[in-house]
Amino acid sequence: MSMIEASGVHVRFGDRVVLESVDLAVGEGEFHGVMGPNGAGKTTFFNVLTGRVKPSRGSIRLGGEDVTGLSPHRIAAKGVARSFQIMTLFDDYSARDNVMMGLPAFRARGFDGWQAAAADRRFTDKASEALAAVGLAEKADVRARDLSYGDRRALEIAVALAQEPRVLCLDEPTSGLGSDGIQRLTALVGRLKGQLTIVAIEHDMAFLFSLADRISVVHWGQVVARGTPHELQQNEWVRRSNLGRFA
Amino acid sequence: MTAPLLVLDGVRKVYTRGRIVRRPTFTLEADLALEEPGIVGVVGPNGAGKTTLFEMMTGSNAPTSGRVLVVGTDIHRVKYRERDRLAIHYHQSYQVRRFHKRVPSVFLAPSPTTSPLVHLFDEPQFNLQDGYIGFMLDFFRKLREEGRLVVLCMHPTAAWHLEILAEIAGQFLFVADGGVTRKPDFRALVAEPRFRLYLGPDLTGAAETISSMQK
Repeated sequence: MSMIEASGVHVRFGDRVVLESVDLAVGEGEFHGVMGPNGAGKTTFFNVLTGRVKPSRGSIRLGGEDVTGLSPHRIAAKGVARSFQIMTLFDDYSARDNVMMGLPAFRARGFDGWQAAAADRRFTDKASEALAAVGLAEKADVRARDLSYGDRRALEIAVALAQEPRVLCLDEPTSGLGSDGIQRLTALVGRLKGQLTIVAIEHDMAFLFSLADRISVVHWGQVVARGTPHELQQNEWVRRSNLGRFA
Repeated sequence: MTAPLLVLDGVRKVYTRGRIVRRPTFTLEADLALEEPGIVGVVGPNGAGKTTLFEMMTGSNAPTSGRVLVVGTDIHRVKYRERDRLAIHYHQSYQVRRFHKRVPSVFLAPSPTTSPLVHLFDEPQFNLQDGYIGFMLDFFRKLREEGRLVVLCMHPTAAWHLEILAEIAGQFLFVADGGVTRKPDFRALVAEPRFRLYLGPDLTGAAETISSMQK
């Protein structure tokens, strides 16, 4: 059984059809890459997966359960966490606080009991664990705004991981990173691979081609090609392009 | 016998100017049939009417006279929201459904087909660096193999644009001077003096080289 199963997903904004009959099945533990030119519908597809956009047709199943049209927090509660193309961190809070705010049990207590909760070992331990998983254990007390761009990307992933998701959706995780940062992130995501199901939209092809089990190419709101990195690299025009460098 | 995939039956589009005395500012005429599944390249100078041609083919811009038949059905007489079951217009990286609604949908007919048989790609953004070209060309071929008609409009500005056209298209439509001329292959297109004039000397040279290398 697939962990994620999108069937015939259709999204329309005014006179533009952004997604048309998109099918995607991602197996448990699979790393599935999504690539395509700007405006092809990749982020909209993520928004459908995570409940931010309701498809006009089609369905999304998560571990066999129909979650089509559920609100983002309900889908998150079913084990789907995501990062965003534009980072969404609380800049004035420490890395640890940011992660704790991502913990469902912490959020359930509300922000009134913030001080007491922040001292609760159950939460701090969990946050430290997530920070350690992304290599930020040493920087737990540093304010998010004082972290380097690469560390902020890693922190975003730690916030997502703190939710103990079954599915991690990464929207252009290497965006804005230099080559060192991309290398670190590749290693970090590589360590996560196999532990949970990952779907990543990415423009950095070295990142995607080295990590993904399979890749879907989205264009004109449709999946125009799908295969393993090796299969996709057989295309003559791919070999002629920069993408071919990774063949 | 199955009806041809796309017929432009005496199609004429006239844009006019002036409220009292209407003077034509643009005229496009087309009379042709694309019967079989395949990939058709559309080329022509800016302002020649390529987009107008596409809009008429997809039912978004009604011809002044004549009919556009998709698998035998006049697309301009089909309910607006069902026209994409006959023909789809892709503009750059997304699909467009924009219709001039002159007649209420209730007076229009349903589409006889459930999925589109004619796919029109209006200047898809090809970029040699990112390699998506290969996936796009394979997608066109897949549509053709599924029995669909792919119409690909390009504005060649580099030799590799011409390479793409020569590789993928089985025949061509050259849009210029208010008319649409059909060319059976790339060689015939390159031999067309108006196409050579439109390309300019450098690209014409490249087109000749590509043409001579074709089987």
